[in-house]
Amino acid sequence: MIRFTSTSFRYEAEKPWVLDGVDLVIEEGEFVVVVGPTGVGKSTFLKTLNGLVPTFSGGEYAGEVVVGGRSLSSNRPADMADLVGYVGQNPSASFVTERVEDELAYAMENLGLDPVTMRRRVEDALDVMSLHEIRESPLGELSGGQRQRVAIAAVLAAAPKILVLDEPTSALDPGAAEEVLSALTRLVHDVGLTVIVAEHRLERVLPFADQVIVLEHNGVIHVGPPASMMAHSPIAPPLVELGNLLGWAPLAMSVREARRRVGDVKARLEDRELPTVRPIPEGSALTTSNLTLNYGEQRALKRVTLDFAPGTLYALLGRNGSGKTTLLNVMAGLLRPSHGTALLHGQPPFRMAPSDRIDLVGLVPQDPGDLLYAQEVGEECRTADREHHLEEGSTLEMVQKILGKIELTRHPNDLSEGQRLSLALAVVMAAKPKVLLLDEPTRGLDYCAKLSLIEQLHLLRSEGVCVVVATHDVEFVAQSADQAIVLSQGEVIAQGSAREVICHTPVFAPQVAKVFSPLDWLTVKEVMTALGGKR
Amino acid sequence: MIDDRPHAVAWWLWALGLAVVAVKLSNPVPMVALGAVIFCVGYLRQSPAAWGRSLMLFVKIGAVVILVRLIFQMLFGERIPGHTLFAIPSVALPSWAAGVSIGGPVTAESLITAGIVGLKLALILLAFGAANAIASPRELLRSLPGVFNEIAVAISVGLCFLPELINAVQRVRSARKLRGRPTKGIAGFRGIVVPVLEEALEHSMELALSMGARGFGRTSSTPSRRRSALCGVSAILGVAGLILGTYGLLSAGSSIPNPGVLCGVGAVFLSLGVVASGRRSVRTRYRPIPFGWRSMVCVVSGWLGLVGISILQSSSPDATSYAPYPLVWPTVSVAALACVAVGLVALAVSPRPALRPSGRSKHMAEATSR
Amino acid sequence: MKEYQIRMTQRSGTLLLLLSLLGAVSLLWPFLLHAAGAAPQAHHLDAPFELMVLVPLLLVLCASELARGSFDVRGIAVLGILAACGTALRIPSPGVVGFEPVFFLLVLAGFVYGPSFGFALGGLTLFVSAFFTGGIGPWLPFQMLAAGWVGLCAGLLPMLSSTKKEKWMLAAYTAVACLLFGVVMNLWFWPFGLSGSTSISYVPGAAVSTNIAHFVAFDLTTSLGFDIPRALLNAGLILCVGRPVVVALRRGAKRVRLLPHVDQAHTTT
Repeated sequence: MIRFTSTSFRYEAEKPWVLDGVDLVIEEGEFVVVVGPTGVGKSTFLKTLNGLVPTFSGGEYAGEVVVGGRSLSSNRPADMADLVGYVGQNPSASFVTERVEDELAYAMENLGLDPVTMRRRVEDALDVMSLHEIRESPLGELSGGQRQRVAIAAVLAAAPKILVLDEPTSALDPGAAEEVLSALTRLVHDVGLTVIVAEHRLERVLPFADQVIVLEHNGVIHVGPPASMMAHSPIAPPLVELGNLLGWAPLAMSVREARRRVGDVKARLEDRELPTVRPIPEGSALTTSNLTLNYGEQRALKRVTLDFAPGTLYALLGRNGSGKTTLLNVMAGLLRPSHGTALLHGQPPFRMAPSDRIDLVGLVPQDPGDLLYAQEVGEECRTADREHHLEEGSTLEMVQKILGKIELTRHPNDLSEGQRLSLALAVVMAAKPKVLLLDEPTRGLDYCAKLSLIEQLHLLRSEGVCVVVATHDVEFVAQSADQAIVLSQGEVIAQGSAREVICHTPVFAPQVAKVFSPLDWLTVKEVMTALGGKR
Repeated sequence: MIDDRPHAVAWWLWALGLAVVAVKLSNPVPMVALGAVIFCVGYLRQSPAAWGRSLMLFVKIGAVVILVRLIFQMLFGERIPGHTLFAIPSVALPSWAAGVSIGGPVTAESLITAGIVGLKLALILLAFGAANAIASPRELLRSLPGVFNEIAVAISVGLCFLPELINAVQRVRSARKLRGRPTKGIAGFRGIVVPVLEEALEHSMELALSMGARGFGRTSSTPSRRRSALCGVSAILGVAGLILGTYGLLSAGSSIPNPGVLCGVGAVFLSLGVVASGRRSVRTRYRPIPFGWRSMVCVVSGWLGLVGISILQSSSPDATSYAPYPLVWPTVSVAALACVAVGLVALAVSPRPALRPSGRSKHMAEATSR
Repeated sequence: MKEYQIRMTQRSGTLLLLLSLLGAVSLLWPFLLHAAGAAPQAHHLDAPFELMVLVPLLLVLCASELARGSFDVRGIAVLGILAACGTALRIPSPGVVGFEPVFFLLVLAGFVYGPSFGFALGGLTLFVSAFFTGGIGPWLPFQMLAAGWVGLCAGLLPMLSSTKKEKWMLAAYTAVACLLFGVVMNLWFWPFGLSGSTSISYVPGAAVSTNIAHFVAFDLTTSLGFDIPRALLNAGLILCVGRPVVVALRRGAKRVRLLPHVDQAHTTT
């Protein structure tokens, strides 16, 4: 179906090749997952599949790509629209019309299909992605998960044979991600659609994959079935790590397979003790009491009463739209509660002057780039030093601790997601706040970057900072959090130690917990320590 | 459900026709009747969405225009003898402002003339208001013929992006507060405009990718170079013809012969040049509203009155024109009223707009801190 | 030279020129007529109304030809997005005592991206903002044309060696352009809005100087109160925010790779 012949590409001369002499074949009807560290060029690779690279990106290009019998050197991306459907990383940025139905019909209008066929296909697409209730809605009113589904449906409506998705589940909570992935798998099995997905959160997609493509920094790529690819891949989800630990060959790719194989290990673990819960230090960095916030008639937060202790890492979990971001915004002093109070060291945060507030609480928003203003990384660090009266170079030092060497003259928008997050984090921490809030920090981070983020957060925790992370990355929570709070529709429905909360909620349970349930083991590292480091 | 409403373009043509009728009239009696007709149709057929407000807005603007015209007449009116109503103290301007006089006696005749001119303008505005209310620009956008695809897409993209933009501004503002930077004043403006602009441009890149990947700009076959050139030349000739024809019309045919014909020919050339080259695109429309007999009736009902009025103008000018010299009551002519009332026929061919359920409220933060 | 400019084809350029000419005729006819020695006629009042029908039709036809000839999908995307930005600047206070900061963005975008883009952006911004400021009124085509001219001429300004000089040049141009925008809008309204017997009306058949004097008086009394604050505001914004905005626009163009347009000669298989 797709054939690459000696394809090479790089954005600028004298830069490293993103793809170097790639020879690759993808068969029809396969679910392919593209894997690689942040910044390696997964998005670029996906864009070569319908000609967006090099037509829209410029750069040096060599070799030949033939998709569905059509050569990309003589077909423009617009000509491939009936064969390849492409959904980018930011679905909101791809909308052209104002209503869901019109959006679904857009691609077909361009293809010149007759209205009868268009009607039929729009209905099909609405069915596949379960979008009936919102078919008349304006696109601006949809939630992130709904937008993702609409973006996929808009591309499916043109009935392409190949579907290319760039991080489709990054904005979705676990439940919505499941839905989308199962819908795609159904299409692969029933209709023979070829689906190619780039994803960081491999634990979500690997169970569905037929083939895995691993990209490396020197432009080389490897293809193969999941089990063999993952055995050698530097990026691996917890299941694969578990398999490596327990010496499985071939590796188990799904929780179900793994569960079948852990019988004896489970027996041994039953009488091992779980790691102790870290004691919560005395004192309270931030408290909320009967906190309520209304947006007009909508109740975003309902009587939320929480107590955050210093030197502890809290995870804030919940579906999209459950109020996590709102709660963080109230805690950071950006929103005023309608009823109830939030107190930061005795004072309500929204009443403080911003200059006083940033010494007490810092928030890294969902889009860390919003915090960065300077044209260069170096300038950003210097400004941060100056604003918070720090020694010259301390912010830069912190950035380099997380990221290693980084070019000082790069524009923040040119950095990868992980780099941008680290820069924003360093800038916020330059003020040395006592409470650090992070809103969905793991979007776009691969496992290594996540680990280094966790290290940083744990370091801060040991310095007495209260860290609150809103996320639905359960693996991240499993590895980092002490305490967990679950929100739903603005109310707190569960709180307690991280282990208790996430192991007993099926939607938020990490892979290891699912494999070893009903035992409450969270991470592979814990299992390894418990087993004494050997089989 | 077969969409058999009159096409949006049909409604606009209807309104345009009635606006031209307003231009031709200067007798207040049929003018007021025309106003009633337009308002009636606009009110009964306005779409239930927010666009329905347009009608009242344009009525208000029309009222303001009449008022302003009267005020200007009172302040700057030329001193023509007539029945003086009252006098405004006059101010003598220095000689370099030659010919401009302020104040003086205000006569009933001058006020009536000014009122009629104001009414003419108000009627044109009312016609636009009715067209906006019935066939809102958004609908018009959706119904544009395929030739205007690129423009329509650019407009659609802009409309779609606007809420995102507002969102982005709020986010950047919040982020600035998070960093303890000012959000008001010039520094605040600069700190918000630049990041938002950068984000907007990033967004446009993603958008271009998505549009390209979904087939924007697909052409069925490339036109031959000759055909392209021909179309271009035709378009240019058409515009040139139109310029000359317009000039001729304005100068009332004294310097350029047959200006109307020239205009018409120019328009034909231009349309040919544009539309013929538009045949390259293969775009179709999802749920198209056909320009059927209802639309035709709608358009005709707007322009038929013009025919009647034109005939009346030559046969009995008093029915359609009026000047307050001498100051008598204007003639009431049934024929003129009938011509005006033809516009109501559009009501018969259009359905009453259905009430749509109100949408969910948007998530906009009401309580924000400083 | 101006590497980020979206160049227009010969044909689009000619069309643009002719359209501008037509627009100029349709606005300046009260003064031109006498110069050509036309005698006043009874139905001279109909002329402006006929124009009101003609100009929008032409605008739309030419705009579509322009868009198809000049811009590819990236150009259209940037056009739409920037039109939305301009609209957002215009919505909060449409015409309220001249508080219309949209012009500074228009001038800067026209300056960076070239005259044809500036023209299209001006027209499009005004059109899209009509959606939010009440609707399409008879003034709209002329507003679009005038805004288009502002963007067009901004694109024709030269790039200077010193950024400071550039800033001042742009600010001065913006102030003048805002004032002229007001003049154009008055020109449109004046002949028929104020027709008849006021001492500052258009008098058909009178000397050109008389009409000009009348028009100037009209302009002064009506809209200078709007035009001057608008000119000052936009020029001020250019001085304060102009440099970073230009840099952002250029960077954006580079990322989107708005390369000079090449006539589509691509064949499909």
